[in-house]
Amino acid sequence: MGTFAGEDTQLRELMRGYQQGRIEAFEELYVLLAGRLRGFLSRHAIDRGRTEDLVQEAFLQLHRARHTYDPAFPLMPWVLAIARHVVLMDVRTARRQPRFAPADAAPEPSVRADADRLADRSAIGAALAELVPSRRSAVVLHHVRGWSFREIAQKLGIEETAAKLRSSRGMAQLRSQLGGPEPPPERRGEARR
Amino acid sequence: MTAHPDSTHVPPRVWHAVTSDLRPVRRLRPPASRALLVAPLALALLVAAPMTFSWRLDLVRLGWALTWGASIAQVIVGLGLVALALREAVPGRGLSAATSGTAFVGAGTMLVVVTLLAATSGDVFRPGDPWRIGGICFGGSFASGVPVVLVAAWLARRAFPLRPAMVGALYGLGAGLMADAGWRLFCEFSGPAHVFPFHLGAIAANTLCGVLSALLLTRRRN
Repeated sequence: MGTFAGEDTQLRELMRGYQQGRIEAFEELYVLLAGRLRGFLSRHAIDRGRTEDLVQEAFLQLHRARHTYDPAFPLMPWVLAIARHVVLMDVRTARRQPRFAPADAAPEPSVRADADRLADRSAIGAALAELVPSRRSAVVLHHVRGWSFREIAQKLGIEETAAKLRSSRGMAQLRSQLGGPEPPPERRGEARR
Repeated sequence: MTAHPDSTHVPPRVWHAVTSDLRPVRRLRPPASRALLVAPLALALLVAAPMTFSWRLDLVRLGWALTWGASIAQVIVGLGLVALALREAVPGRGLSAATSGTAFVGAGTMLVVVTLLAATSGDVFRPGDPWRIGGICFGGSFASGVPVVLVAAWLARRAFPLRPAMVGALYGLGAGLMADAGWRLFCEFSGPAHVFPFHLGAIAANTLCGVLSALLLTRRRN
C-alpha cells in the first residue's frame, strides 16, 4: 500500500514536470509507463502484433492531452482511459479496412526457383523482430498480408510515400540480416534512402 | 526538436513528436469553474426574450415559483449539466452510467413536472394559430441555445473528450434548458399540446446539436 502510494506520488511529480516541459520527466515517465501500457494494450488489442504501434500511439495521445491531467488525482486512471480510447480507435479502423477477396478466388502464387535457398520461418521471424516497429508493420502489411501502400498509409496515418519508404527500408534490412541477394542496381538507391 | 539520442528508451517517432512540441502547458481549471464561463450567457438568455418581446401575460397569476423559480432552477440545472459535460470531457474522469442517467432523467422529470404544474394551475391560454406560434417558440428557443452550445463545445474541445456523443448530449441539454428558461418567461401558452412538441422539442434539438458539434470537433482532432 505504501509502495503504491509512493509510486503514485512519483508518477504525479513526473507528470507535473512533463507538463512544465521537462524532457527528463517524460523519459522517466516513459520508462515507468511503457511496460504497463504494453500489458494493457496487448490484453485488449485485436491484433497483438500491433501492440508496439499502439503503445507509441498511446504516448502520442498522452502528449496531446497532457494539459488535461490534474495532479490532484492519480495518474493511472487518466493514462488507462486514453489507452482504452487508443484500442477503440484501432478496432474501429480495423473494421473499416476493405475486405479482401476469398483465398480460393485469388490466383495461386508462383514459387520462386530459389525458394529452397530462402531462410526458414524462425530465421525470418527473428530478423523481423530486429526491425523497428514502424518498418516491421509496413513490411508485414505489404509483403505478408498483401495490403496496398495506400491502405497501409490510411491504417498507420502516414503518407503513402512514407509507407513505401518504410517497407523498402525494412526489406533492405531483412535482406542484409538474412544474407540474401543484394537488390538490383537500379533499386539500391531506394533501399539506402 | 532535438535529435533522437541512442541512450533513451523512447522510440524515435514518439521522441520527435514530444520534443517538437514540449512547451509548458497550462492545466485545465476544474470543470465547475470552467462551466461558470457560460453563466453570463445563461443570465442574458434568461431575460433576453421577455425583455425583447414581452413578459408572459399570466406571470402574476402563475406566481413566482412557476415562473421565475422554475426558470432559475432550469438555468442552474443547465449549468450543472455543462459542468458534468466538461468533467466527462477530461480523460479518466468520465461519469458513471448512474450519474449520467440521473442527470438526463432528472432534467427531463423537472421539465415535465413544471409543464404539468403550469398546465393545471388554472385557465391556460391557447394559441390561435398553434403551428405558427409553435414554430416561433421552437425556432426562437432553439436559436437562443445555439450560442451556449458553441461556447460549451469550445470548452469541451479544449479538454480531450473520449466519449464525445455523451459530452455533447450533456452540454446540448444544458444549453436547451438555459434557452428555454428565458423563453418560457415570454411565452404564455402553458398547455402540454404547445409545450411538449415546441418547447421541449427545441431542447431536444439543442441536445442533438450538442451531440453533432462534439462529434464534429473531435473528428477534426483525431
